[in-house]
Amino acid sequence: MHRRRLITGLLMVSPWLTGFLVLTVYPFLAALYWSFCSYDLLSEPQWVGLRNYRRLLSELVEGGTFAQALTNTAYFAIGSVLLSVVFGVALAVMLSWEVRGRAVYRTLCYLPSVVPTVAAAVLWIWLLDPQQGLVNAALETVNVPPQGWFQSTSAAALPSAWPEDHGGRIFGSKDGLLLMSLWGVGNLLVIYLAAIADIPEQLYEAAELDGAGRLRQFFHVTLPMLTPVIFFNVVMGLIQSVQAFTQIYIVSDGQGDPAGSTLTLSLHLFLSAFKDLDMGYASAMAWVLFLVVMLVTVWLFRTSRHWVHV
Amino acid sequence: MRANSSARRTSHLWLLLATALMILPLVWMVLTSLKTPQQIASTPYGWWPSPFRWENYREAVTAIPFARYLANSLLLCIGSVVGTLFSCSLVAYGFTRLHWPGRDWMFAVLIATMLLPWQVTMVPRFLIIRELGLYDSLGALILPKFFAEAFYVFLLRQFFLTVPQEMVDAARVDGCGEMGVLWRVMLPLARPALATVALLEFVATWNDYGGPLLYLNDPDKFPLAYGLEQFVSAHSSEMHLLLAAAVLFTLPIVLLFFVAQRTFVRGISTTGLKG
Repeated sequence: MHRRRLITGLLMVSPWLTGFLVLTVYPFLAALYWSFCSYDLLSEPQWVGLRNYRRLLSELVEGGTFAQALTNTAYFAIGSVLLSVVFGVALAVMLSWEVRGRAVYRTLCYLPSVVPTVAAAVLWIWLLDPQQGLVNAALETVNVPPQGWFQSTSAAALPSAWPEDHGGRIFGSKDGLLLMSLWGVGNLLVIYLAAIADIPEQLYEAAELDGAGRLRQFFHVTLPMLTPVIFFNVVMGLIQSVQAFTQIYIVSDGQGDPAGSTLTLSLHLFLSAFKDLDMGYASAMAWVLFLVVMLVTVWLFRTSRHWVHV
Repeated sequence: MRANSSARRTSHLWLLLATALMILPLVWMVLTSLKTPQQIASTPYGWWPSPFRWENYREAVTAIPFARYLANSLLLCIGSVVGTLFSCSLVAYGFTRLHWPGRDWMFAVLIATMLLPWQVTMVPRFLIIRELGLYDSLGALILPKFFAEAFYVFLLRQFFLTVPQEMVDAARVDGCGEMGVLWRVMLPLARPALATVALLEFVATWNDYGGPLLYLNDPDKFPLAYGLEQFVSAHSSEMHLLLAAAVLFTLPIVLLFFVAQRTFVRGISTTGLKG
Protein backbone atom coordinates (compact mmCIF):
# COMPACT_ATOMS: atom_id res chain seq x y z
CA MET A 1 0.00 0.00 0.00
CA HIS A 2 2.78 2.33 1.02
CA ARG A 3 4.72 1.45 -2.10
CA ARG A 4 1.77 1.71 -4.39
CA ARG A 5 1.07 5.21 -3.12
CA LEU A 6 4.67 6.17 -3.74
CA ILE A 7 4.51 4.85 -7.29
CA THR A 8 1.21 6.63 -8.04
CA GLY A 9 2.64 9.81 -6.59
CA LEU A 10 5.83 9.62 -8.59
CA LEU A 11 3.88 8.83 -11.77
CA MET A 12 1.69 11.87 -11.22
CA VAL A 13 4.61 14.23 -10.72
CA SER A 14 6.73 12.48 -13.38
CA PRO A 15 6.37 15.30 -15.95
CA TRP A 16 7.98 17.68 -13.53
CA LEU A 17 10.44 15.10 -12.21
CA THR A 18 11.68 14.22 -15.70
CA GLY A 19 12.07 17.85 -16.64
CA PHE A 20 13.76 18.57 -13.34
CA LEU A 21 16.34 15.81 -13.81
CA VAL A 22 16.97 16.29 -17.53
CA LEU A 23 16.52 20.05 -17.94
CA THR A 24 17.65 21.32 -14.54
CA VAL A 25 19.83 18.95 -12.52
CA TYR A 26 21.89 17.61 -15.40
CA PRO A 27 22.42 21.08 -16.97
CA PHE A 28 23.24 22.46 -13.52
CA LEU A 29 25.99 19.88 -12.98
CA ALA A 30 27.16 19.96 -16.59
CA ALA A 31 27.61 23.72 -16.30
CA LEU A 32 29.66 23.18 -13.16
CA TYR A 33 31.90 20.66 -14.95
CA TRP A 34 32.27 22.84 -18.07
CA SER A 35 33.19 25.82 -15.93
CA PHE A 36 36.49 23.97 -15.41
CA CYS A 37 36.86 23.28 -19.13
CA SER A 38 37.72 24.99 -22.34
CA TYR A 39 34.77 24.19 -24.58
CA ASP A 40 33.74 25.71 -27.93
CA LEU A 41 30.86 23.33 -28.82
CA LEU A 42 32.76 22.04 -31.87
CA SER A 43 35.41 19.91 -30.14
CA GLU A 44 35.25 17.95 -26.88
CA PRO A 45 35.55 19.87 -23.59
CA GLN A 46 39.16 20.12 -22.36
CA TRP A 47 39.83 20.26 -18.62
CA VAL A 48 41.63 23.50 -17.76
CA GLY A 49 41.17 23.58 -13.98
CA LEU A 50 40.51 27.01 -12.51
CA ARG A 51 41.49 28.99 -15.61
CA ASN A 52 37.99 30.37 -16.30
CA TYR A 53 37.56 31.44 -12.70
CA ARG A 54 41.03 33.03 -12.65
CA ARG A 55 40.07 34.97 -15.75
CA LEU A 56 36.91 36.24 -14.03
CA LEU A 57 38.91 37.22 -10.97
CA SER A 58 41.57 39.05 -12.93
CA GLU A 59 38.90 40.88 -14.96
CA LEU A 60 37.25 41.81 -11.72
CA VAL A 61 40.46 43.14 -10.21
CA GLU A 62 41.68 44.95 -13.31
CA GLY A 63 38.27 46.39 -14.19
CA GLY A 64 37.71 44.25 -17.29
CA THR A 65 34.49 43.23 -18.99
CA PHE A 66 33.33 41.09 -16.08
CA ALA A 67 33.74 43.95 -13.61
CA GLN A 68 31.78 46.20 -15.95
CA ALA A 69 29.01 43.60 -16.31
CA LEU A 70 28.85 43.18 -12.55
CA THR A 71 28.59 46.95 -12.00
CA ASN A 72 25.90 47.29 -14.66
CA THR A 73 23.93 44.40 -13.18
CA ALA A 74 24.14 45.82 -9.67
CA TYR A 75 23.11 49.27 -10.91
CA PHE A 76 20.11 47.91 -12.76
CA ALA A 77 19.03 45.41 -10.08
CA ILE A 78 19.38 47.74 -7.07
CA GLY A 79 17.99 50.71 -8.97
CA SER A 80 14.94 48.92 -10.33
CA VAL A 81 14.12 47.30 -6.98
CA LEU A 82 14.47 50.58 -5.06
CA LEU A 83 12.35 52.47 -7.59
CA SER A 84 9.72 49.75 -7.67
CA VAL A 85 9.40 49.76 -3.87
CA VAL A 86 9.23 53.55 -3.51
CA PHE A 87 6.93 54.24 -6.45
CA GLY A 88 5.05 50.95 -6.10
CA VAL A 89 4.08 51.65 -2.50
CA ALA A 90 3.33 55.33 -3.17
CA LEU A 91 1.14 54.53 -6.16
CA ALA A 92 -0.61 51.66 -4.37
CA VAL A 93 -1.45 53.93 -1.44
CA MET A 94 -2.90 56.50 -3.82
CA LEU A 95 -4.90 53.83 -5.63
CA SER A 96 -6.31 52.62 -2.32
CA TRP A 97 -7.93 56.00 -1.61
CA GLU A 98 -11.70 55.68 -1.73
CA VAL A 99 -12.46 58.08 -4.56
CA ARG A 100 -14.84 57.87 -7.46
CA GLY A 101 -13.34 56.21 -10.53
CA ARG A 102 -10.82 54.24 -8.49
CA ALA A 103 -11.28 51.13 -10.67
CA VAL A 104 -10.46 53.17 -13.77
CA TYR A 105 -7.30 54.61 -12.22
CA ARG A 106 -6.25 51.11 -11.16
CA THR A 107 -6.83 49.60 -14.59
CA LEU A 108 -4.93 52.36 -16.36
CA CYS A 109 -1.96 52.14 -13.99
CA TYR A 110 -1.82 48.37 -14.45
CA LEU A 111 -2.14 48.50 -18.22
CA PRO A 112 1.52 49.29 -19.08
CA SER A 113 2.66 46.10 -17.36
CA VAL A 114 0.77 43.93 -19.85
CA VAL A 115 2.58 45.53 -22.80
CA PRO A 116 4.95 42.86 -24.21
CA THR A 117 8.60 43.52 -23.38
CA VAL A 118 9.60 43.67 -27.04
CA ALA A 119 6.98 46.31 -27.79
CA ALA A 120 7.82 48.23 -24.61
CA ALA A 121 11.50 48.24 -25.58
CA VAL A 122 10.74 49.56 -29.07
CA LEU A 123 8.46 52.20 -27.58
CA TRP A 124 10.98 53.36 -24.99
CA ILE A 125 13.79 53.56 -27.52
CA TRP A 126 11.68 56.22 -29.20
CA LEU A 127 10.28 57.84 -26.06
CA LEU A 128 13.87 58.35 -24.93
CA ASP A 129 15.23 59.33 -28.31
CA PRO A 130 17.49 62.32 -27.56
CA GLN A 131 16.21 64.39 -30.50
CA GLN A 132 12.66 63.23 -31.23
CA GLY A 133 11.60 61.59 -27.97
CA LEU A 134 8.74 62.62 -25.76
CA VAL A 135 10.71 62.49 -22.51
CA ASN A 136 13.38 64.99 -23.54
CA ALA A 137 10.66 67.24 -24.97
CA ALA A 138 8.88 67.11 -21.60
CA LEU A 139 12.13 67.80 -19.73
CA GLU A 140 12.80 70.80 -21.97
CA THR A 141 9.57 72.46 -20.84
CA VAL A 142 10.94 72.49 -17.28
CA ASN A 143 14.37 73.66 -18.46
CA VAL A 144 16.19 70.38 -18.01
CA PRO A 145 18.85 69.91 -20.74
CA PRO A 146 18.28 67.06 -23.20
CA GLN A 147 19.54 63.73 -21.87
CA GLY A 148 21.41 61.09 -23.84
CA TRP A 149 19.49 58.06 -22.53
CA PHE A 150 20.15 54.96 -24.62
CA GLN A 151 22.84 56.78 -26.59
CA SER A 152 24.91 57.78 -23.59
CA THR A 153 27.15 55.76 -21.27
CA SER A 154 26.36 58.09 -18.37
CA ALA A 155 24.52 56.92 -15.27
CA ALA A 156 22.75 59.41 -13.03
CA ALA A 157 23.62 57.67 -9.76
CA LEU A 158 27.31 57.23 -10.64
CA PRO A 159 29.00 60.66 -10.77
CA SER A 160 32.19 58.98 -11.99
CA ALA A 161 30.35 57.99 -15.19
CA TRP A 162 29.13 61.53 -15.93
CA PRO A 163 30.63 63.12 -19.01
CA GLU A 164 33.04 66.00 -18.44
CA ASP A 165 31.29 69.37 -18.68
CA HIS A 166 28.03 67.46 -18.53
CA GLY A 167 25.96 70.58 -17.95
CA GLY A 168 23.16 68.55 -16.38
CA ARG A 169 23.27 65.80 -19.01
CA ILE A 170 23.64 62.89 -16.63
CA PHE A 171 20.97 60.34 -17.56
CA GLY A 172 22.28 57.49 -19.67
CA SER A 173 21.45 54.05 -20.96
CA LYS A 174 21.09 52.35 -17.58
CA ASP A 175 18.73 55.07 -16.37
CA GLY A 176 16.64 54.50 -19.49
CA LEU A 177 16.35 50.84 -18.54
CA LEU A 178 15.32 51.82 -15.01
CA LEU A 179 12.63 54.16 -16.31
CA MET A 180 11.34 51.36 -18.49
CA SER A 181 11.22 48.88 -15.61
CA LEU A 182 9.43 51.44 -13.45
CA TRP A 183 6.76 51.76 -16.13
CA GLY A 184 5.93 48.06 -15.66
CA VAL A 185 5.33 48.40 -11.92
CA GLY A 186 1.66 47.37 -12.33
CA ASN A 187 2.11 43.75 -11.29
CA LEU A 188 3.48 44.87 -7.94
CA LEU A 189 0.59 47.28 -7.50
CA VAL A 190 -1.77 44.32 -7.42
CA ILE A 191 0.22 42.73 -4.60
CA TYR A 192 0.57 45.96 -2.62
CA LEU A 193 -3.11 46.83 -3.07
CA ALA A 194 -4.14 43.43 -1.72
CA ALA A 195 -1.82 43.91 1.26
CA ILE A 196 -3.15 47.41 1.96
CA ALA A 197 -6.72 46.11 1.83
CA ASP A 198 -5.76 43.52 4.46
CA ILE A 199 -4.61 46.12 7.00
CA PRO A 200 -7.23 46.19 9.80
CA GLU A 201 -9.24 49.41 9.85
CA GLN A 202 -8.92 49.57 13.67
CA LEU A 203 -5.23 50.39 13.36
CA TYR A 204 -6.08 53.57 11.46
CA GLU A 205 -8.87 54.41 13.87
CA ALA A 206 -6.49 54.02 16.81
CA ALA A 207 -3.87 56.15 15.07
CA GLU A 208 -6.48 58.81 14.33
CA LEU A 209 -7.55 58.86 17.99
CA ASP A 210 -3.92 59.39 18.89
CA GLY A 211 -3.98 62.41 16.62
CA ALA A 212 -1.88 61.03 13.78
CA GLY A 213 -2.38 62.76 10.44
CA ARG A 214 -2.32 61.07 7.06
CA LEU A 215 1.46 61.15 6.80
CA ARG A 216 2.02 59.76 10.31
CA GLN A 217 -0.58 57.07 9.64
CA PHE A 218 1.34 56.07 6.53
CA PHE A 219 4.69 55.83 8.30
CA HIS A 220 3.40 54.23 11.49
CA VAL A 221 0.64 51.95 10.21
CA THR A 222 0.70 51.35 6.46
CA LEU A 223 4.43 51.05 5.94
CA PRO A 224 5.18 48.68 8.87
CA MET A 225 2.23 46.50 7.89
CA LEU A 226 3.55 46.32 4.34
CA THR A 227 7.09 45.29 5.20
CA PRO A 228 6.51 41.53 4.69
CA VAL A 229 5.22 42.19 1.18
CA ILE A 230 8.01 44.68 0.51
CA PHE A 231 10.53 42.10 1.64
CA PHE A 232 9.05 39.54 -0.71
CA ASN A 233 9.15 42.10 -3.52
CA VAL A 234 12.79 42.95 -2.83
CA VAL A 235 13.87 39.30 -2.91
CA MET A 236 11.92 38.39 -6.04
CA GLY A 237 12.70 41.72 -7.70
CA LEU A 238 16.44 41.28 -7.24
CA ILE A 239 16.33 37.71 -8.55
CA GLN A 240 14.28 38.76 -11.55
CA SER A 241 16.22 41.88 -12.42
CA VAL A 242 19.55 40.04 -12.28
CA GLN A 243 18.11 37.74 -14.94
CA ALA A 244 16.55 40.51 -17.07
CA PHE A 245 17.51 39.98 -20.67
CA THR A 246 15.04 40.82 -23.45
CA GLN A 247 14.70 44.58 -22.94
CA ILE A 248 18.44 44.94 -22.35
CA TYR A 249 19.27 42.92 -25.47
CA ILE A 250 16.96 45.03 -27.62
CA VAL A 251 17.88 48.52 -26.44
CA SER A 252 21.59 47.68 -26.59
CA ASP A 253 21.60 46.34 -30.16
CA GLY A 254 22.31 42.91 -28.72
CA GLN A 255 25.80 43.87 -27.57
CA GLY A 256 25.56 46.12 -24.55
CA ASP A 257 25.79 49.39 -26.49
CA PRO A 258 26.80 52.11 -26.05
CA ALA A 259 30.32 51.08 -25.05
CA GLY A 260 29.26 48.22 -22.82
CA SER A 261 27.17 50.49 -20.58
CA THR A 262 24.23 48.07 -20.75
CA LEU A 263 26.31 44.89 -20.80
CA THR A 264 24.82 43.10 -17.79
CA LEU A 265 25.88 39.71 -16.51
CA SER A 266 23.02 37.97 -18.27
CA LEU A 267 23.87 39.63 -21.60
CA HIS A 268 27.61 39.07 -21.18
CA LEU A 269 26.95 35.43 -20.40
CA PHE A 270 24.73 35.00 -23.45
CA LEU A 271 27.26 36.65 -25.76
CA SER A 272 30.20 34.68 -24.34
CA ALA A 273 28.33 31.43 -24.92
CA PHE A 274 26.64 31.99 -28.27
CA LYS A 275 28.74 34.64 -29.97
CA ASP A 276 32.27 33.81 -28.74
CA LEU A 277 31.40 30.09 -28.29
CA ASP A 278 33.33 30.20 -25.02
CA MET A 279 31.14 27.77 -23.08
CA GLY A 280 33.68 27.26 -20.28
CA TYR A 281 33.93 30.96 -19.48
CA ALA A 282 30.15 31.36 -19.80
CA SER A 283 29.53 28.40 -17.48
CA ALA A 284 31.92 29.78 -14.88
CA MET A 285 30.06 33.08 -15.05
CA ALA A 286 26.72 31.26 -14.75
CA TRP A 287 27.94 29.64 -11.54
CA VAL A 288 29.16 32.96 -10.17
CA LEU A 289 25.77 34.44 -11.01
CA PHE A 290 24.08 31.57 -9.19
CA LEU A 291 26.26 32.01 -6.10
CA VAL A 292 25.71 35.76 -6.08
CA VAL A 293 21.93 35.29 -6.26
CA MET A 294 22.05 32.73 -3.44
CA LEU A 295 24.27 34.90 -1.22
CA VAL A 296 22.12 37.98 -1.73
CA THR A 297 18.98 35.99 -0.96
CA VAL A 298 20.46 34.51 2.20
CA TRP A 299 21.75 37.94 3.26
CA LEU A 300 18.32 39.50 2.72
CA PHE A 301 16.69 36.82 4.83
CA ARG A 302 19.30 37.37 7.54
CA THR A 303 18.74 41.12 7.69
CA SER A 304 14.98 40.82 7.31
CA ARG A 305 14.30 40.39 11.01
CA HIS A 306 15.59 43.92 11.62
CA TRP A 307 13.09 45.60 9.36
CA VAL A 308 10.34 43.18 8.47
CA HIS A 309 7.36 43.53 10.75
CA VAL A 310 5.71 40.19 11.53
CA MET B 1 -10.25 57.51 3.40
CA ARG B 2 -13.12 59.70 4.59
CA ALA B 3 -12.34 63.23 3.59
CA ASN B 4 -13.90 66.56 2.81
CA SER B 5 -14.30 67.83 -0.72
CA SER B 6 -11.03 69.78 -0.93
CA ALA B 7 -9.06 66.74 0.22
CA ARG B 8 -10.96 64.66 -2.31
CA ARG B 9 -9.98 67.09 -5.05
CA THR B 10 -6.34 66.83 -4.04
CA SER B 11 -6.61 63.05 -4.15
CA HIS B 12 -8.01 63.18 -7.66
CA LEU B 13 -5.26 65.55 -8.71
CA TRP B 14 -2.53 63.19 -7.53
CA LEU B 15 -4.23 60.18 -9.09
CA LEU B 16 -4.72 61.99 -12.38
CA LEU B 17 -1.08 63.00 -12.46
CA ALA B 18 0.19 59.49 -11.71
CA THR B 19 -2.21 57.82 -14.13
CA ALA B 20 -1.35 60.30 -16.86
CA LEU B 21 2.35 59.54 -16.47
CA MET B 22 1.67 55.81 -16.77
CA ILE B 23 -0.68 56.02 -19.71
CA LEU B 24 0.83 58.84 -21.81
CA PRO B 25 3.54 56.61 -23.33
CA LEU B 26 0.83 54.33 -24.71
CA VAL B 27 -1.22 57.23 -26.05
CA TRP B 28 1.90 58.66 -27.64
CA MET B 29 2.70 55.27 -29.18
CA VAL B 30 -0.70 54.97 -30.84
CA LEU B 31 -0.79 58.59 -32.04
CA THR B 32 2.75 58.54 -33.39
CA SER B 33 2.06 55.29 -35.23
CA LEU B 34 -0.49 57.26 -37.27
CA LYS B 35 1.75 60.18 -38.23
CA THR B 36 3.49 60.82 -41.52
CA PRO B 37 7.29 60.59 -41.55
CA GLN B 38 7.33 64.29 -42.50
CA GLN B 39 5.42 65.25 -39.38
CA ILE B 40 7.75 63.20 -37.18
CA ALA B 41 10.79 64.82 -38.79
CA SER B 42 9.53 68.36 -38.13
CA THR B 43 10.08 69.90 -34.71
CA PRO B 44 8.04 70.26 -32.63
CA TYR B 45 5.83 67.67 -34.21
CA GLY B 46 2.89 67.89 -31.84
CA TRP B 47 0.71 65.16 -30.38
CA TRP B 48 -2.07 64.97 -32.89
CA PRO B 49 -1.45 63.27 -36.26
CA SER B 50 -2.20 65.60 -39.16
CA PRO B 51 -3.03 63.99 -41.43
CA PHE B 52 -3.79 60.54 -40.07
CA ARG B 53 -1.73 58.04 -42.06
CA TRP B 54 -3.47 54.68 -41.74
CA GLU B 55 -1.19 53.28 -44.46
CA ASN B 56 1.49 52.96 -41.76
CA TYR B 57 -0.33 49.88 -40.58
CA ARG B 58 -0.64 48.36 -44.04
CA GLU B 59 3.03 49.04 -44.70
CA ALA B 60 4.12 47.62 -41.36
CA VAL B 61 2.19 44.43 -42.05
CA THR B 62 3.47 44.02 -45.59
CA ALA B 63 7.09 44.90 -44.75
CA ILE B 64 7.39 41.65 -42.80
CA PRO B 65 5.73 38.26 -43.42
CA PHE B 66 3.19 39.21 -40.80
CA ALA B 67 0.73 36.37 -41.44
CA ARG B 68 3.45 33.75 -41.18
CA TYR B 69 4.88 35.21 -37.96
CA LEU B 70 1.38 35.40 -36.54
CA ALA B 71 0.71 31.76 -37.44
CA ASN B 72 3.98 30.74 -35.78
CA SER B 73 3.12 32.73 -32.67
CA LEU B 74 -0.30 31.13 -32.42
CA LEU B 75 1.12 27.65 -32.98
CA LEU B 76 3.65 28.24 -30.21
CA CYS B 77 1.01 29.65 -27.89
CA ILE B 78 -1.40 26.76 -28.43
CA GLY B 79 1.30 24.11 -28.01
CA SER B 80 2.65 25.78 -24.88
CA VAL B 81 -0.77 26.22 -23.28
CA VAL B 82 -1.70 22.60 -23.96
CA GLY B 83 1.61 21.33 -22.60
CA THR B 84 1.43 23.54 -19.53
CA LEU B 85 -2.17 22.72 -18.64
CA PHE B 86 -1.62 19.00 -19.10
CA SER B 87 1.61 18.69 -17.15
CA CYS B 88 0.94 21.24 -14.43
CA SER B 89 -2.50 19.97 -13.46
CA LEU B 90 -1.18 16.42 -13.21
CA VAL B 91 1.81 17.46 -11.14
CA ALA B 92 -0.13 19.88 -8.95
CA TYR B 93 -2.59 17.11 -8.11
CA GLY B 94 0.26 14.74 -7.29
CA PHE B 95 1.56 17.36 -4.85
CA THR B 96 -1.83 18.15 -3.30
CA ARG B 97 -4.30 15.34 -2.73
CA LEU B 98 -2.05 12.35 -2.89
CA HIS B 99 -0.08 11.30 0.15
CA TRP B 100 3.18 9.62 -0.64
CA PRO B 101 6.51 9.49 1.16
CA GLY B 102 8.88 12.26 0.17
CA ARG B 103 6.14 14.44 -1.29
CA ASP B 104 6.63 17.54 0.81
CA TRP B 105 10.36 17.35 0.52
CA MET B 106 10.10 17.13 -3.26
CA PHE B 107 7.66 20.04 -3.35
CA ALA B 108 10.22 22.15 -1.49
CA VAL B 109 12.73 21.28 -4.21
CA LEU B 110 10.21 22.37 -6.85
CA ILE B 111 9.77 25.72 -5.10
CA ALA B 112 13.54 26.13 -4.83
CA THR B 113 13.94 25.73 -8.60
CA MET B 114 11.98 28.96 -9.02
CA LEU B 115 14.96 30.80 -7.56
CA LEU B 116 17.45 29.29 -10.01
CA PRO B 117 18.49 31.86 -12.66
CA TRP B 118 17.77 30.49 -16.15
CA GLN B 119 21.25 31.46 -17.30
CA VAL B 120 22.77 28.75 -15.11
CA THR B 121 21.21 25.95 -17.12
CA MET B 122 21.03 27.79 -20.45
CA VAL B 123 24.05 26.28 -22.23
CA PRO B 124 23.55 22.56 -21.39
CA ARG B 125 19.83 22.90 -22.05
CA PHE B 126 20.60 24.28 -25.46
CA LEU B 127 22.84 21.30 -26.21
CA ILE B 128 20.20 18.81 -25.04
CA ILE B 129 17.58 20.39 -27.29
CA ARG B 130 20.07 20.30 -30.16
CA GLU B 131 20.88 16.61 -29.46
CA LEU B 132 17.16 15.87 -29.65
CA GLY B 133 17.20 17.29 -33.16
CA LEU B 134 14.87 20.11 -32.19
CA TYR B 135 17.16 23.05 -32.92
CA ASP B 136 15.51 25.48 -35.33
CA SER B 137 12.05 24.01 -34.87
CA LEU B 138 9.06 25.22 -32.90
CA GLY B 139 9.30 21.95 -30.95
CA ALA B 140 12.39 23.31 -29.19
CA LEU B 141 10.16 25.91 -27.56
CA ILE B 142 7.08 23.74 -27.01
CA LEU B 143 8.60 20.51 -25.66
CA PRO B 144 9.92 22.02 -22.38
CA LYS B 145 6.38 23.18 -21.58
CA PHE B 146 5.34 19.56 -21.13
CA PHE B 147 7.59 19.31 -18.07
CA ALA B 148 5.45 21.37 -15.69
CA GLU B 149 6.80 24.80 -14.80
CA ALA B 150 7.17 25.29 -11.05
CA PHE B 151 5.32 28.61 -10.91
CA TYR B 152 2.13 27.19 -12.43
CA VAL B 153 2.30 24.03 -10.32
CA PHE B 154 2.46 26.28 -7.27
CA LEU B 155 -0.50 28.35 -8.48
CA LEU B 156 -2.68 25.32 -9.25
CA ARG B 157 -1.73 23.62 -6.00
CA GLN B 158 -2.84 26.70 -4.04
CA PHE B 159 -6.19 26.33 -5.76
CA PHE B 160 -6.50 22.54 -5.42
CA LEU B 161 -5.92 22.93 -1.67
CA THR B 162 -9.19 24.87 -1.39
CA VAL B 163 -11.23 21.96 -2.73
CA PRO B 164 -12.91 20.26 0.27
CA GLN B 165 -11.37 16.89 1.12
CA GLU B 166 -14.90 15.44 1.45
CA MET B 167 -15.48 15.89 -2.27
CA VAL B 168 -12.29 14.02 -3.05
CA ASP B 169 -13.19 11.24 -0.61
CA ALA B 170 -16.73 10.99 -1.98
CA ALA B 171 -15.39 10.55 -5.49
CA ARG B 172 -12.99 7.88 -4.28
CA VAL B 173 -15.85 6.04 -2.51
CA ASP B 174 -17.79 6.19 -5.76
CA GLY B 175 -14.95 4.22 -7.31
CA CYS B 176 -12.91 6.99 -8.92
CA GLY B 177 -9.20 6.32 -9.37
CA GLU B 178 -6.80 9.21 -8.83
CA MET B 179 -7.08 10.20 -12.49
CA GLY B 180 -10.83 10.10 -12.11
CA VAL B 181 -10.71 12.42 -9.10
CA LEU B 182 -8.46 14.82 -10.99
CA TRP B 183 -10.56 14.74 -14.14
CA ARG B 184 -14.06 14.70 -12.64
CA VAL B 185 -13.66 16.68 -9.42
CA MET B 186 -10.53 18.81 -9.39
CA LEU B 187 -10.33 20.13 -12.91
CA PRO B 188 -14.02 21.17 -13.22
CA LEU B 189 -13.73 23.00 -9.90
CA ALA B 190 -10.39 24.52 -10.80
CA ARG B 191 -11.60 26.00 -14.08
CA PRO B 192 -10.86 29.61 -13.02
CA ALA B 193 -7.34 28.66 -11.97
CA LEU B 194 -6.79 26.73 -15.19
CA ALA B 195 -7.97 29.78 -17.12
CA THR B 196 -5.42 31.89 -15.26
CA VAL B 197 -2.63 29.45 -16.05
CA ALA B 198 -3.66 29.23 -19.70
CA LEU B 199 -3.85 33.01 -20.01
CA LEU B 200 -0.51 33.68 -18.31
CA GLU B 201 1.21 31.02 -20.41
CA PHE B 202 -0.38 32.32 -23.61
CA VAL B 203 0.84 35.83 -22.89
CA ALA B 204 4.29 34.63 -21.80
CA THR B 205 4.70 32.65 -25.03
CA TRP B 206 3.36 35.48 -27.17
CA ASN B 207 5.93 37.81 -25.56
CA ASP B 208 8.85 35.38 -25.42
CA TYR B 209 11.90 36.74 -27.18
CA GLY B 210 14.82 34.89 -25.60
CA GLY B 211 13.55 31.43 -26.62
CA PRO B 212 13.30 32.17 -30.36
CA LEU B 213 16.57 34.09 -30.22
CA LEU B 214 18.30 31.03 -28.82
CA TYR B 215 16.60 28.22 -30.72
CA LEU B 216 15.33 29.55 -34.05
CA ASN B 217 17.38 30.41 -37.09
CA ASP B 218 15.05 30.01 -40.06
CA PRO B 219 13.01 33.21 -40.62
CA ASP B 220 10.07 31.08 -41.75
CA LYS B 221 9.71 29.87 -38.16
CA PHE B 222 9.94 33.20 -36.33
CA PRO B 223 7.08 34.17 -34.05
CA LEU B 224 5.92 37.79 -33.99
CA ALA B 225 7.93 38.81 -30.94
CA TYR B 226 11.16 37.88 -32.66
CA GLY B 227 10.10 38.84 -36.18
CA LEU B 228 9.15 42.28 -34.91
CA GLU B 229 12.62 42.84 -33.57
CA GLN B 230 14.17 41.76 -36.88
CA PHE B 231 11.95 44.42 -38.40
CA VAL B 232 13.30 46.92 -35.89
CA SER B 233 16.86 46.24 -37.00
CA ALA B 234 15.94 46.61 -40.67
CA HIS B 235 13.85 49.78 -40.31
CA SER B 236 15.53 51.41 -37.38
CA SER B 237 14.87 54.93 -38.64
CA GLU B 238 11.21 54.59 -39.56
CA MET B 239 9.56 55.35 -36.27
CA HIS B 240 6.01 55.50 -37.69
CA LEU B 241 6.22 51.95 -39.11
CA LEU B 242 7.98 50.56 -36.06
CA LEU B 243 5.39 51.91 -33.69
CA ALA B 244 2.57 50.70 -35.93
CA ALA B 245 4.06 47.20 -35.81
CA ALA B 246 4.50 47.47 -32.03
CA VAL B 247 0.87 48.56 -31.63
CA LEU B 248 -0.34 45.59 -33.70
CA PHE B 249 1.77 43.25 -31.62
CA THR B 250 0.53 44.71 -28.33
CA LEU B 251 -3.15 45.02 -29.25
CA PRO B 252 -4.16 41.34 -28.80
CA ILE B 253 -2.63 41.29 -25.32
CA VAL B 254 -4.32 44.51 -24.26
CA LEU B 255 -7.66 43.24 -25.59
CA LEU B 256 -7.17 39.96 -23.72
CA PHE B 257 -6.45 41.99 -20.60
CA PHE B 258 -9.66 43.96 -20.89
CA VAL B 259 -11.72 40.84 -21.57
CA ALA B 260 -10.14 38.81 -18.79
CA GLN B 261 -8.90 41.34 -16.24
CA ARG B 262 -10.00 39.20 -13.29
CA THR B 263 -8.28 36.13 -14.64
CA PHE B 264 -5.04 38.09 -15.07
CA VAL B 265 -5.09 39.53 -11.60
CA ARG B 266 -6.04 36.21 -9.97
CA GLY B 267 -2.65 34.76 -10.93
CA ILE B 268 -0.85 37.48 -9.04
CA SER B 269 -3.11 37.54 -6.02
CA THR B 270 -3.10 33.74 -5.61
CA THR B 271 0.64 33.43 -5.59
CA GLY B 272 1.87 36.89 -4.73
CA LEU B 273 4.22 36.54 -7.70
CA LYS B 274 4.19 38.05 -11.12
CA GLY B 275 4.01 35.53 -13.90
